Amino acid sequence: MFGDEIAGFIESPVMQIIGSSNAARQPEIGRAVGAWASYGGDTIDLVTSAWQWPETVANLRENGKIAVTFARPSDYVSYQLKGQATIRPAEPHEVERSSQYIVAIVSTQMRLGMLPELIMPVLSNRDPMLITMRVASVFVQTPGSRAGNRIWSTTP
Amino acid sequence: MTPTSIGLTLADLEACFEGVIPSIISTADADGLPNISYLSHVAVVDDRHVALSNQFFAKTAANIRLNPHAMLLLVDARNSAQYRLELVFAHSLEAGPLFEHIALQIDASSAQVGMAGIMKLRNLDVFRVVSIEAIPSQVQTAELPRSKRNRLIGAARIAEAIAAETDADGIIDAMLEGLRTEFGFAHGLLLQLDGERNQLVAIGSMGYVPSGIGSEIPVDEGVIGAAAAGARLVKLSDMSRIRRFGAAVRDSSADENRTRAIPLPGMPDAMSQIAVPLIAAGLVRGVLFLESRDRIAFTGEDEAALSVIARQTAMALALSEKLSLEAEPQGLVRIQSPASEKTVQVVHHRFDDSVFINGDYVIKGVAGRLLASMLEQHQQSGRLEFTNREIRLDAVLKLPDFKDNLETRLLLLRRRLDEKRLPIRLTRLGRGRIGLFVEGRLLLSKDLA
Repeated sequence: MFGDEIAGFIESPVMQIIGSSNAARQPEIGRAVGAWASYGGDTIDLVTSAWQWPETVANLRENGKIAVTFARPSDYVSYQLKGQATIRPAEPHEVERSSQYIVAIVSTQMRLGMLPELIMPVLSNRDPMLITMRVASVFVQTPGSRAGNRIWSTTP
Repeated sequence: MTPTSIGLTLADLEACFEGVIPSIISTADADGLPNISYLSHVAVVDDRHVALSNQFFAKTAANIRLNPHAMLLLVDARNSAQYRLELVFAHSLEAGPLFEHIALQIDASSAQVGMAGIMKLRNLDVFRVVSIEAIPSQVQTAELPRSKRNRLIGAARIAEAIAAETDADGIIDAMLEGLRTEFGFAHGLLLQLDGERNQLVAIGSMGYVPSGIGSEIPVDEGVIGAAAAGARLVKLSDMSRIRRFGAAVRDSSADENRTRAIPLPGMPDAMSQIAVPLIAAGLVRGVLFLESRDRIAFTGEDEAALSVIARQTAMALALSEKLSLEAEPQGLVRIQSPASEKTVQVVHHRFDDSVFINGDYVIKGVAGRLLASMLEQHQQSGRLEFTNREIRLDAVLKLPDFKDNLETRLLLLRRRLDEKRLPIRLTRLGRGRIGLFVEGRLLLSKDLA
């Protein structure tokens, strides 16, 4: 269990980006739209769009290697979580949770002065997929001297 | 191989490199374990290479040395269209002209995200772009209003108008008017560098009420000061998240009279600003400053066009300064101050050379000293005409540190008197000749306080 603080952070309105790679070790980028701690805090569930990020979905199906960075728009506080993931089509209640996230992140960005028409193009849950990620390690990624520090890991 | 699979080139992605919306990079280590992070700065090196600044993320730097493949996600700052760029690591840079150029860009845009100094560039990783693909969007991304104006033709027209002018007045007006009509920019200032005092003084203004002629900003303060100090263009493209530099706009002549300082005009809700140094003969001579309520109001083409226009202006002003010392033969224009029985009370405070007319603050410093000197000669001998050459000689005698820029100092004084609608005015009688109007009976006093 990686701690309530990180769990609270990933469930708050923060931007969510997914790194994956294929068999040729070609890295890929995708975005998630909604994340929450699941199975008593052992894993994280994330929703992504297979329509917008097909390569990410293919990579996660193929090998499950995943890195996700969560970044708070107001102050750039960021954490990167690494681990192993499985992926399946999202259930309606999971899509609903993702839609609630989209409303929250758009509101957050608008409070920071972003126009809604500039936020919406990067967010989609069309062809929604659910990623379940078993977290192996957590790193600080906030720009500054602590960037890159590992703050939690399943292995010592 | 072309760097694109569906016809997109790096040139099409210009608005992704404004530093407004963070880019994202993903890498993988030798075992294929991914790493993903936001990037503060991505710059175009040439039509098939980009450079990424990598200040904090050691993991990305380590991964690309084990596995040179990377993926970059760029977001167009104008409409949030997303692009996926497949990259291969080429080499790292720690010095050289490209490094210096990008380090300057990073300094300028770091201030934009409130991270001035923190984002000091250590090294740059240069990548070859293998492919560029647009990411589909569920919402229609806004159509991009591309300017139909051709900047090269516009710049040529402005340069032509500047070249036709003989004095600082005409040069500055031709430039600002050209920027308004040819480029559609509505708010701007031309500031001259006063090197001795390390201040920039506004001598030309468009779009502001009051104009702010005579207002000053220290070299190194804000985007205007940074452009002068660094001899480079500084641009901010989205100020929605930035606390505005400088003081709030004040509009009170009572305040001027108390502080003996003219407030710098500004747009409280500006989204874009650009400051372009005026450089001639290797020296920074001033700054052209423009601002707009639009995001990303100033494109890469604007940067190029404004740099040309700023340099043309700098050269024209420097030349007019030299030519103004050779006064034209006296023309037929004879000046006469209008008859008035009103008293015009002028106070010259010697400690800062500030001048007040009927209790209104006019100007201080060298320009104040020049005005006081002309008024003194008028009071003694009734003189109404002066040449730049004699004013300069007089100034050199009385002001040992006086160097140059007489023509623009007189221009500043003239515009300031006009704007304040004061009963003392200056008028240009021809190249290098100045006329003095005093509407009333002059009462000049000096105090040492």
